[in-house]
Amino acid sequence: MDLVQLQRQLVDYRTSLYHEGFLDEQFTQLQSLQDENNPDFVVEVVSLFFEDSERLLNELSKALEQQIIDFKRMDGQVHQLKGSSSSIGAHRVQKLCIVFRNYCEAQNVEGCLKCLQQVKHEYGIIKTKLESMFQLEQQILNAGGSIPV
Amino acid sequence: MELMKSENIVQDRQPQPQEEEEIMQQEEEEQRFHVLAVDDSVIDRKLLEKLLKASSYQVTCVESGEKALEYLGLLHHSSPASSSSQHHHQGHKVNLIMTDFSMPGTSGYDLLKRIKGSSWKDVPVVVMSSENVPSRISMCLEGGAEEFMLKPLQLSDLHKIQAHLLKSLPHS
Repeated sequence: MDLVQLQRQLVDYRTSLYHEGFLDEQFTQLQSLQDENNPDFVVEVVSLFFEDSERLLNELSKALEQQIIDFKRMDGQVHQLKGSSSSIGAHRVQKLCIVFRNYCEAQNVEGCLKCLQQVKHEYGIIKTKLESMFQLEQQILNAGGSIPV
Repeated sequence: MELMKSENIVQDRQPQPQEEEEIMQQEEEEQRFHVLAVDDSVIDRKLLEKLLKASSYQVTCVESGEKALEYLGLLHHSSPASSSSQHHHQGHKVNLIMTDFSMPGTSGYDLLKRIKGSSWKDVPVVVMSSENVPSRISMCLEGGAEEFMLKPLQLSDLHKIQAHLLKSLPHS
């Protein structure tokens, strides 16, 4: 695939992520902060998000396996996940976290378990999509092109 | 005693070009506003740091209310020695403090109250939160916060902050 085709593919892919509600305006804000002094800013922030999310999802899984479930602590963890997904524009994950928090508040185990599965699922999707997008960007850079805004 | 060549004497007197640049950079930095940013989220710290640097502020990020109190010298004593109008303490100049509201341990609100009850009380404090809770907002404003901002912050939000910083400059 030539450079122009790659750039076209990236623009289309990015647009679809917004249209399908995977990303929101906050992701655009992140991109606008990236510059020549900080060319890897978006990748760095998103990588932090991946690490942080995986840690939180593990902790939430463990919390729901306990004999006595600490809903307050779980709520705090979901709040963190909601915050970080909001900060990078991971729209679907953020929305699910709001539902998740309601179940924590209601101390509804079934609801929490279901929500956790859904959050894990959505997180997996956005992770794959963002990684694909970054790979496309890298291909463009390697071909000597620039990333279209 | 060795006779020094005239070129050597000239070199010793004048600073090297790199040193001159460093001195200028240092002076520039000292003139910039310094913001202390407090947030327990590593992602939000990175974002805030970038937003502030993009607006030409100097930034120090800490991960908790306790670390912020430590930085300000408020952790173990109730009030350090009186400050100059530039808010210098322990060699630190701080022109603005931005803190997240929900933090484990010392919350943003706790931090706000401690600051307002100390010799740092004239430093503007901005509280940030991902939740739009009216009672929380009024509580912080009544507690002395200059501004309450909703996360995630954007570059346009930083303009409001600039107004607060300019207000806090000493009048001639």
